[in-house]
Amino acid sequence: MIRFAIAIALVIAAAYLFGWYIPQFYESTTTYLWAEAFYIGVAAMGLNLLTGYNGQVSIGHGAFFGLGMYTTAILMESHDWPFLPTLFVAAALAFVVGVLVGFPALRVKGLYLALVTLGLAALFPQLTNRFVPRDLCKTCGTSQVGELARVKLLPPSWTPTFIHQPDQWAYYATLTIAVVGIVVLALLVRSRFGRALIAVRDHEAAAETVGINVARVKVLAFATSAVYAGVAGSCFVLVNRLANASSVSTFQLSIEFLVAVVIGGTATVFGPMLGGFVFVFSNRWISESFPSRLLFWHINDSIKSLLSPAIFGIGLILLMYVLPEGIVGGGRRVGATALRRLRRRVSAPAAT
Amino acid sequence: MSLFLTQLMIGIGSGAVYASLALALVLVFRTTGILNFAQGEMALYSTYLVWFFTERSVPVWIAILLAMAISFVGGAAIERILIRPVEQASPLVLVIVTIGMFLAINSIAQVQFGNDIKLLPRAYPNKTWLPGNVQISSDTLVLVGVLIAECLILYLVLNRTKIGLAFRAVASNAESSRLVGVPVGRMLMLGWAMAAAIGALAGALVIAPVGLQGASMQQILVYAFAAAALGGFDSPVGAVVAGLIVGVVGTMTTQYLHVVHDIELVVPFGLILVVLLFRPAGLFGTTRVERV
Amino acid sequence: MNSDVCEPRLSKPRMRPLRVVALGAALALLVAACGSGRNDTKGTTDTTAAGGGGGSTPTSSVIDTSQCDSSTLTEGITGNTIKIGTSLPLSGTYAAFSGILQGESAYFSYINSLGGVTVAGKKYQIKLVSKDDAYDAARTSTNVNALINSDKVFALFNNVGTKNNLGIRETVNSDCIPNLLIASGAVQWGNPKYPWMLGSELVPYPLEMQEFVDYLKKNKPNAKIALLYANDDFGQSYQESLQQLVKGTTLSLVKQESYNSEGSDVKAQVTDLAASKADTFVIGATLLACPAAMNAAHDAGWKPVTYMSGTCVSKLLFAAGGDGADGVLTVTPLLDPADPTNASNAAIALYKAQVAKYQPKADSSDGIVAYGWSTAATLQKILEASPKLDRVSVMETARTLKGISGAGLQLPGSTWSTSKADWFLGEDFQLVKYNKAAGHTEAIGTITSLDGKTAALSPSALLNS
Repeated sequence: MIRFAIAIALVIAAAYLFGWYIPQFYESTTTYLWAEAFYIGVAAMGLNLLTGYNGQVSIGHGAFFGLGMYTTAILMESHDWPFLPTLFVAAALAFVVGVLVGFPALRVKGLYLALVTLGLAALFPQLTNRFVPRDLCKTCGTSQVGELARVKLLPPSWTPTFIHQPDQWAYYATLTIAVVGIVVLALLVRSRFGRALIAVRDHEAAAETVGINVARVKVLAFATSAVYAGVAGSCFVLVNRLANASSVSTFQLSIEFLVAVVIGGTATVFGPMLGGFVFVFSNRWISESFPSRLLFWHINDSIKSLLSPAIFGIGLILLMYVLPEGIVGGGRRVGATALRRLRRRVSAPAAT
Repeated sequence: MSLFLTQLMIGIGSGAVYASLALALVLVFRTTGILNFAQGEMALYSTYLVWFFTERSVPVWIAILLAMAISFVGGAAIERILIRPVEQASPLVLVIVTIGMFLAINSIAQVQFGNDIKLLPRAYPNKTWLPGNVQISSDTLVLVGVLIAECLILYLVLNRTKIGLAFRAVASNAESSRLVGVPVGRMLMLGWAMAAAIGALAGALVIAPVGLQGASMQQILVYAFAAAALGGFDSPVGAVVAGLIVGVVGTMTTQYLHVVHDIELVVPFGLILVVLLFRPAGLFGTTRVERV
Repeated sequence: MNSDVCEPRLSKPRMRPLRVVALGAALALLVAACGSGRNDTKGTTDTTAAGGGGGSTPTSSVIDTSQCDSSTLTEGITGNTIKIGTSLPLSGTYAAFSGILQGESAYFSYINSLGGVTVAGKKYQIKLVSKDDAYDAARTSTNVNALINSDKVFALFNNVGTKNNLGIRETVNSDCIPNLLIASGAVQWGNPKYPWMLGSELVPYPLEMQEFVDYLKKNKPNAKIALLYANDDFGQSYQESLQQLVKGTTLSLVKQESYNSEGSDVKAQVTDLAASKADTFVIGATLLACPAAMNAAHDAGWKPVTYMSGTCVSKLLFAAGGDGADGVLTVTPLLDPADPTNASNAAIALYKAQVAKYQPKADSSDGIVAYGWSTAATLQKILEASPKLDRVSVMETARTLKGISGAGLQLPGSTWSTSKADWFLGEDFQLVKYNKAAGHTEAIGTITSLDGKTAALSPSALLNS
């Protein structure tokens, strides 16, 4: 009963914090930052479904992300669609492409799969540059020539009056998507499909003998995780007001998603979202609040921006030493050990 | 025809670089089973070292040898200090550790040496020969020559020495080697050390003609990854052959395949996909039999 | 709208029993929150507020200011300090452009040490806030949003990159933020829909092509041109203007190749161009791709008349071009700081001394640093010409500049002007040729002035895109 009350209180506190406090009291710089953390988290959740629960490593989810980004940008810019309906198109497209990629992935495994997906991400900017006509989407591409007009980024008329700025709309939209994403993921991993995912990851042959259609499960895992990445890409457009394909290329986004998954904890429901937050906010902290002077070393802005990846990278390595299972996984282990010790201490005197 | 041969030579030149770096990736993979995302950045740092020495009027070849020696030690140290503690962790954790190294090394190099463009002197005269209108530059010759030398030395070390035998034993089965008294830890360090030294050499040679800056190695690393995947991660021969293939295919598509103009990357990665569909462990890789 | 933020909003939530549990935590947060309430006056959603709010919106003959919120026009000016923001690559492939920041910082330190800039009779210190975007347009957009809303800068200044600035044009338009002296020679800065954007003294890319085509008409009327261009907007500016300019002349564009602008590997492309038997080579590339192209041409034994983008005017890039750089033509609006014959020039002497003083790590003989210095000097001229220190006046002044001269290393005898019909600054420039033995550029002929001609010479689809 007490635990239930605490849980409810936490949920409400979180709802207040995320639902009211941040978007209503902070400037757009902060709300956009939170929105960024949300969509990185959503994409990471999708990747986690594939990598954490199903054991297929992808370092090319930036391509699906890009797909969602372009779909939304094109529909909003050239066809005057509002944001929300574009999500469904983006999700559907990502699903289809996810299935298409999922099939060859049945045969290519492990690091080789990772490399093939890396190719996917590396190709995305080149392919779109070549095949998406400039007139169709000025805001798209590695050389996009515009920004979405402010009118298109305004909250739709049906939203309550407290959502009145583009950044608040972007915030609430990504927040809602993140919450829905988490709920769906939680249901999914507890479902038959979820158990099949894990069975296939842990022992493919054994899974097959108990009647799991391995190929179907793997392809579906790919497609579902692509949907998450695609929807996250749609949110990118709302937050950044353009669909920049340079971010997709090779070493950026796809790696960020993977980092978020592992920081948070593979095969956990909340881990990737948490990882996304740690990723976005620690980078921000490093570039904004890092001291300008360390002992005798004066660090100017230019050096700071060069140095911030180093600080993040070293932090990442240290985290892997301390909590190789990620924050959620590691937290659970530490918590469980503490609990066990506590129980032992409590039960020990009773035994004597 | 002469144009074809010229593009072939250029392709072989860049292919030799991809091959060298892929070779480094394979060495690391074979010993520690890690896909080292930081391989390119380690080479970048070494190249900055070469620049650092040449700025202090050290002759270029000596500077390169010095940088290679430092990289050799550095590679071993990275294995011992950064990788060993998480040796037993899941492959994903190892990938993240190398990504952390990737970020850290790149940024430390730029902070330490500055983020402006550096010019490295070539270690050899820059010349172009035009036999029968085919253009052969000293850059290409040196890159190919160095690649051949690397292969020879690796072959001799691995197949003709005791250390090589121990090294191969560890690569094929670390547990059994430990049981028969092979110093496994030292061999793992050796793998990283050799990879770092090879990377240093490749970096210094490829960057001298074009200029050095923080992002210099990233594109090359993507191609080296492609080469390693194509050839098979556990096959040095595969890395070399596939590196050359990726290089040549790149220039040939630019020249002849205007369908894929601006999307040249389609070709190497398409090739990888096709090859992997038929040979899931790459062209020269060994397929592991899964036990049920 | 701000002040009442705490009270009415607290009373709104319906008090369901469970909510009481969270109230404690919530209240604590709220107390903290009221200290830093959100300032939403700078919106465009409340169109009523913008029009009917406090004060009248200033009118301008040049810019449509009906969208602007009059209460924010002097944001970024506190006491005697003007805060300006810039976003540019300090890391990544384009990190070499960080030399621009060194030049700017040196100039502002210098001018601040003299008391600052004088606007409408009052002296102001300039405070420059810089953010790294690694040449990624999405990061530029994030940076600019932060510069406007968190750092609250008065104006944006010398943001680097064509796509990067195109990606913020709606924001600066609707927030009425002057985006002054954009570090790009793209012609889109002449698009009348975006009056808050102004290009810097960099020569507009079509004018570069015009100048070179004129040179060819005079010296090589039957030139067969091969073009290498970056596969982005920057490269396309060269491609489209060159295509348009050779039409109806005896010149011909025989072959063109693009390269991936994310890297600088152009060897295969240049080899192909060299094989085309063209005798003229245009390099529509930037940074390391420029020397790579010159090297590759030299390696191929190809000795065309070569024109290289003005964005590559840098001692270092010429040096990297090796033998291939000898005799390469380009244009510049500035004096070459590497040229020893300029050493006696007072502007150069001042520049070198101040850069050495305030940015000792910078290479003052590099054109990129010189560009930053000169652009900062141009900003000073704009601010000092403004009758009032508010965003509308400054932007209007920037759009109606009458003959700036002597800004930083500006070529002696050249003037930079803008007017209601002409939104381009860098229309006076010098055709130069690189002399490898001497290690600097040499002027060819006199200064070209194409003042007011950019719009007419640019492909209109590009200008209005």
